[in-house]
Amino acid sequence: MTAFFGQLVLRTDEARRAFETHPTVVDALARGLSVERYRSLLLELYHVVWHFNPVSAAAASRLDDGLRDVRYYLYGHMHEEQGHEQWVLDDLDAVGVPRAQALAHAPLPHTLALVGYNYWAAERRHPASVLGMLYVLEVIASVYGGAFASAVQESLLLDGQRGVSFLASHADLDMQHMATLREVLDGVGDEAAREAVVESARVNFHHFTALVGQL
Amino acid sequence: MTIAAGGLPQLLGRPYRYLRLEWTSELALLRVRQCVRPVPCFSLAGLAELQSVLDDLHANRGLVRHLVLSSDVDGVFNFGGDLALFVLLVRARDRDSLRLYGRRCIDLVWGMERAAAHDLHTVALVQGDTLGGGLETVLPFHHIIFERRAQGGFPEVLFNLFPGMGAWPFTIRRAGLAVASEMILSGRIYGAEELRQRGLVDTVADDGAGEAAVEQVVRSVEPRWRGTLAALRAQRDTVPVTRESLLAIVDLWADAALALGERDLRLMERLARAQARKVGGADEGAVEELKRIELASAWRGERAAERAPDALA
Repeated sequence: MTAFFGQLVLRTDEARRAFETHPTVVDALARGLSVERYRSLLLELYHVVWHFNPVSAAAASRLDDGLRDVRYYLYGHMHEEQGHEQWVLDDLDAVGVPRAQALAHAPLPHTLALVGYNYWAAERRHPASVLGMLYVLEVIASVYGGAFASAVQESLLLDGQRGVSFLASHADLDMQHMATLREVLDGVGDEAAREAVVESARVNFHHFTALVGQL
Repeated sequence: MTIAAGGLPQLLGRPYRYLRLEWTSELALLRVRQCVRPVPCFSLAGLAELQSVLDDLHANRGLVRHLVLSSDVDGVFNFGGDLALFVLLVRARDRDSLRLYGRRCIDLVWGMERAAAHDLHTVALVQGDTLGGGLETVLPFHHIIFERRAQGGFPEVLFNLFPGMGAWPFTIRRAGLAVASEMILSGRIYGAEELRQRGLVDTVADDGAGEAAVEQVVRSVEPRWRGTLAALRAQRDTVPVTRESLLAIVDLWADAALALGERDLRLMERLARAQARKVGGADEGAVEELKRIELASAWRGERAAERAPDALA
């Protein structure tokens, strides 16, 4: 019997491939992004990152002692992620979007759907759903983040990590994150919790792909 | 006469997403064209579909006499493993899933290796780049045709890995230990003619003439199909490759994958970006990127050799 992390990878692989093979993603990896498109991406990412910890907190508040290890993991993870939305704002500033303009940006419906789903899933579906969100964001950061950062750096001729600090640093940070997340997921034995994680990962990939497709 | 695959019994009329099937009743010939897009590689779903075709063929012995595998993607036969999935599993330190992926690949090459035992004559038509697992997959085929522009090789060593899905035993059987060592340990990419000279490819056809070469091979085998298959079964018994040895190599491969460092994973990302450029219509793609990596690697080696005497002094 494959451990749960392996099952999650298998069962959500088509959703991951749908993200990876979306024409916008393929084009961005191959040729980078125009500055307008990159700004749009960061403006949407700001909202995703901003809500990451509140969604995690909502889920943690509803996880009972049967999933105590997940709850403790979320505490630590929230601490690590604290303030990362500020990195996105710094990158936006570096590519010509002042903080006030970034904060006034109205997110796309796909971004609202992504964030809204994650709150709803944590509170009404199953609190373990949050692990599906975490899995998708870790995959995007650690598998694609580095390549995205390089492509953006090259296409916009950015100096070092200036303007790509969020993408580049998450690609590095999330190396260990993914291994830790696997251990947490493998420890989830409850069938309903597992199904909620799989469903959430599929939904998060779906919305994230749609979001990127709208840039 | 060529008719749609729906003309075959239900078991071959499955709704495939990553394969296109064509049936030629006159020759009992099944054409399987891979169409994993935009980057042709062995995704989990693509592997599952190919395995499903093989399972159907093995379970319905005699239904198909000739199986031909090719690609529907211009300029690329197969880039091999799904690099993103691979990076994901390495970063997650998930040895079990790496082994599982490797074993699924072995199931596929093993199915090809056992084709003659299931009364199936196999031909691979390679019309574009084929790397790593893409090349490993064609090696068990009875007849391998490359169009002249096609290139192939095992680049894994360039990012500190080795091809673990049959490259060693199948290359040794076709071309000998020296050629296998040269190819696998150098990571070099070879042109079609170079591969033919080394014994890995049976026929090199001019660009655009691959389809005619396939027909010629199939029509030449068809009148002596039974004898050919008996001979091929004996050939495989004479120089056997065992499933157990293939699976043991996958375990070594999974261990090697887990030892990959950040530099190696970054090289894989460069390769993935180059693959995306190629399928996006750029002239240069993964093969050119690999040649750059190979050159840089050789340069570093020379510089290290130059520095060594100084270090000793």
